Amino acid sequence: MAKIISVHSFRGGTGKSNITANVATLLAVEGRRVGVIDTDIQSPGIHVLFGLAGEEIGHALNDYLWGRCEIEQAAHNVTPNLGTDANGRVFLIPSSIRAGEITRVLREGYDAQLLTRGLRSLIEALKLDVLLIDTHPGLNEETLLSIVISHVLAVILRPDQQDYEGTGVTVEVARHLKVPHMVLIVNKVPTIFDTAAVKAKVEQAYHCPVAAVLPHSEEVMALASAGIFALRYPDHPVTSALQRAAASLVG
Amino acid sequence: MEDDAGAVVGGRGYLLVVDDNEINRDILSRHLERQGHTVAVAENGRQALEMVSTHPFDLVLLDVMMPEMDGYRVLERLKGDEAWRDIPVIMISALDEIDSVVRCIELGAEDYLPKPFDPVLLRARIGACLEKKRLRDQEVEYLRSVARVTAAATAVEAGEFEPESLADVARRTDGLGRLARVFQRMAREVYAREERLKRQVHELRIELSQARQARQVAEITETDYFRQLQAEAQNLRDILEGTSE
Repeated sequence: MAKIISVHSFRGGTGKSNITANVATLLAVEGRRVGVIDTDIQSPGIHVLFGLAGEEIGHALNDYLWGRCEIEQAAHNVTPNLGTDANGRVFLIPSSIRAGEITRVLREGYDAQLLTRGLRSLIEALKLDVLLIDTHPGLNEETLLSIVISHVLAVILRPDQQDYEGTGVTVEVARHLKVPHMVLIVNKVPTIFDTAAVKAKVEQAYHCPVAAVLPHSEEVMALASAGIFALRYPDHPVTSALQRAAASLVG
Repeated sequence: MEDDAGAVVGGRGYLLVVDDNEINRDILSRHLERQGHTVAVAENGRQALEMVSTHPFDLVLLDVMMPEMDGYRVLERLKGDEAWRDIPVIMISALDEIDSVVRCIELGAEDYLPKPFDPVLLRARIGACLEKKRLRDQEVEYLRSVARVTAAATAVEAGEFEPESLADVARRTDGLGRLARVFQRMAREVYAREERLKRQVHELRIELSQARQARQVAEITETDYFRQLQAEAQNLRDILEGTSE
């Protein structure tokens, strides 16, 4: 059975999609077959990190949810776009960027069982070792569903008062949903902060393990969504932290 | 001796005259002093090197033929030493010693003066040498200042920068001085910001209002959707595991 990992944050702008894309890539470089599903139907974006232009997206997750295709047909093998000799594979199931598709999901919602069956088909058809779910920030219904069906929930936060409370709510709600394993990833930490101290304080505050503390980096900001950071900067401290995060999520 | 008067090209300097012949030494010294220079004398090569090591001469006038240590060896020593290399040396030689003059120029002498001394030629050559020395000193000082700024950049990266280390460079009136001042100011600002952040992390407190959080959690967990999801959770997990259809 593939490991299903939801990557979530209470607020936007925490670097959730970036971390998801990098973790997926690092796991594929190690030889794993990785699926990445963009359930952020309201504001999809992770396809950009994998070098997939919006107009290149043929079938999307939306098409599967409305019965227009099988879920495997919405899976795009983005491994060649990574430009590296990954032994594994990365398959992306993007959300549609078409406005009509987005409003329809928001208006009608979708069937939890249908999505769950889709994930199972996807794991079997693509022989996935890991399935990463990139969720919409906040705690809407789709996010709660992805938490329920995950083996691991990774909550991303920044060392910022704005993130603390929402993260607390997310952690508590996830406990109500009995997610088997939960970790926190602290992102965009000013380099002058002592990462060990930040890790200790966050773990103490939420009673939840911290998988990695990622330092703030000008290079990450500069690369923005133009590629996979860990491949572009293999020796960077942020990449080391991403590797720790990846190892912790599948460990 | 009117030729000795007048403006001095290249400014006045601190000169060392090295000659074993006392008469030559005196004549030359007097000429030079009349032209406004400060003059010290050495009787031989060894004494000359001792004086160079303790006095900041702008120019050395050096006789070729001397007992004990001749002009060539003094010149070699001067040009072979990092600290003395830039002090210009004018060789003093008789007109029939042209071969030795060539050799001295090859060894790094700046120029030569034939004996007996012609005051006009003397002033022109010394003036030109001092002017070159002055420009060279400026260049060296500029490069030294540049090195200070680059060293400051390294220190910033290592977290060891002291703004005062650039105080001299910052007093320059040229572009480099401005660079140093801007650099100092920015480093001070960054340092102040880092100090503030350090204090913050020291005080990094993750304050969670338990009551407010409980209320927010309840707002979610008490919805119909949430209860339905909880009830259906096991079924959904079974679908994933393949134990239910």
